[in-house]
Amino acid sequence: MLEAILSTLRETWSGYVEGLRLVIPRLLAMLSVVAVGWLIAALARAVTLTLLRWLRLERLAERAGAAELLRKAELPPAERLAASAVFWLLFLGFLLAGVDALGFKTLQAMRAQIGLLMPRLVGALAILVVGLVLANVVRRGVLLAAVNAGWPQARVAGGVVHFLTVAIVAAMVLDQLGLARPIVLTAFAIVVGAVMLALAIAVGVGSGPLLRRLLEERLAARARPESDGSSHL
Amino acid sequence: MSTILSDELLTELIAVGQVDVLVGLPTLNHSDSVGPVVRAAHVAFNRELARERTVLVNVDGGSIDGTPDIVRDASIIERETLVASHSLRTRHRISGPYHGVPGKAAALRTVFAAADLLQARAVVVLDPEIASVTPESVAALARATLASDVDFVSPAYARHPLDGPLVTQVVRPLFRAAYGLALQEPLAGEFGCSGRFAARCLEQPAWESDDLRLAIDLWISGMAAGGGMRVSEAALGPRRLSARPRPGVAELVPQVLDALFTCLRLHESDWTARTQATPVARSGASGLAPDAATSADGAGYAALFREGLEALAPILERALQPSTLDGLRAAPGQDGRVQIPDGLWAAVVRELAAAHRHAAVSRDHLVRAAVPVYLGRVASFVTEAAGLDPFEAEERLEALCREFERSRGELVALWTA
Repeated sequence: MLEAILSTLRETWSGYVEGLRLVIPRLLAMLSVVAVGWLIAALARAVTLTLLRWLRLERLAERAGAAELLRKAELPPAERLAASAVFWLLFLGFLLAGVDALGFKTLQAMRAQIGLLMPRLVGALAILVVGLVLANVVRRGVLLAAVNAGWPQARVAGGVVHFLTVAIVAAMVLDQLGLARPIVLTAFAIVVGAVMLALAIAVGVGSGPLLRRLLEERLAARARPESDGSSHL
Repeated sequence: MSTILSDELLTELIAVGQVDVLVGLPTLNHSDSVGPVVRAAHVAFNRELARERTVLVNVDGGSIDGTPDIVRDASIIERETLVASHSLRTRHRISGPYHGVPGKAAALRTVFAAADLLQARAVVVLDPEIASVTPESVAALARATLASDVDFVSPAYARHPLDGPLVTQVVRPLFRAAYGLALQEPLAGEFGCSGRFAARCLEQPAWESDDLRLAIDLWISGMAAGGGMRVSEAALGPRRLSARPRPGVAELVPQVLDALFTCLRLHESDWTARTQATPVARSGASGLAPDAATSADGAGYAALFREGLEALAPILERALQPSTLDGLRAAPGQDGRVQIPDGLWAAVVRELAAAHRHAAVSRDHLVRAAVPVYLGRVASFVTEAAGLDPFEAEERLEALCREFERSRGELVALWTA
């Protein structure tokens, strides 16, 4: 009995050690690829940053209006953004190569699938980035306009506009990825339609008089910036 | 110069010959207000300035309401009036700037070039929107230059200390601290200057910059600082604007702040390095109006300040230092009144200026986020000045300017950081 247990344990441990003997070199290979990749990507980022600064990309972005757009979206300056993009592209490439080095068939199949999805993924990523930038710019614009117009609940107005923009962007991203396209489109149409219908019913039928009275009281009680500001000059 | 002046205007100017006083009048669709201004200039030509050779140059930005015709019709002696037009880029028409004359920078450049060509000893630039202009005020702006070699004459109006808070609370103190030039109306669109001053302005590369679009009035005032220029103020009595729609506070404040900070940027090498102030001679006392032309809604502004500060905190956090923002957050009292002391206000304005300079946050967002903060300061000053007579309130404005001057070092440090 004891012999059987010891034998089983020996076999298990020897199999485990054998497995480790196979995996550890691959793991080390993957880590070395990722580490070297990180170094190369960081170096490429530094070189790109220096080069773009030398080329005065900042001035070009300023003239083209891109710098102002990035500031409005609370994003870093154009040269830092470009350098970061270079870093992540390179690093992701090395990360995928590192996964290859592990030699796991499942991971390799997944990587192959990602490779096939790559064009769509890049497109979706571009839509996501541009959409989020736009959503931020729109939110800020609405917030500032609402505050300076003396609107009640200016932050809510900005938040709602931001949410709606992000929802549209999310639907576009999922559509670009081709993930459950009919479901996404139908769900989006249903949600937007339902929200609009609910608002229309709430304001127009259900609580129209109440809302009108509340708004009248609210707006009458608060000061609004004058339509003619000449007295301030 | 030939590129600034059109061939047609050049021919007309050559026909006029050398003059002593050139009055420049930039216009764009000012048919409702330009007539009295032109008549005041011509009465001054024939009465106060009768011994001088004079000409009025109207530079029109392409009016479609017949402004140039009204200028011609209002002229007593046709030979003394030249009407020129300058092309206006489409974007200048998008929204009316605070000074009401889109394309004014290009118009002033034409006026200065004409003055240079005609070797005018004095140049007077009039604002078609100032309805209170009189022959005496036209002459006053020209006289200082003709009689005592002054290079720049700025108007001083008899106003109540609560009038024009954007000027008294922001523009005047910051301009004075930065440039060392204690002008009552640095933002004024009307002024007098010498031919030498006009020539100096013409030499500047800033004309090619789009930044001058809004900042032209302040830029001209800023040019008077340093460089051995002699500056004076002429008391012109009460100021009255023509009745026409103007931008509201929410549009006006961002425009003026943007103009002010842009102007500081255009002149930064001069004002950050200056070591002494430029003295301002005053001809006559401007006096004070006994009553404010309009009453600011202190309680309403305080409410807008509280709500705006809370909603726009993420933008202001990137422009203001934590201690300054904390000070603003503590400004509203239990009774709903806002109290923003001079020192805190000076810190707010200089940090906003520096954030604009370094583009720490979108410049457009920055100046728009400053609107509720400005309204809070106005509410604070209105409350403070409520129990004061106009002279005491004027003293408070002078104290504010001194506070800005005291912290000039911090402004320069932040600006050049």
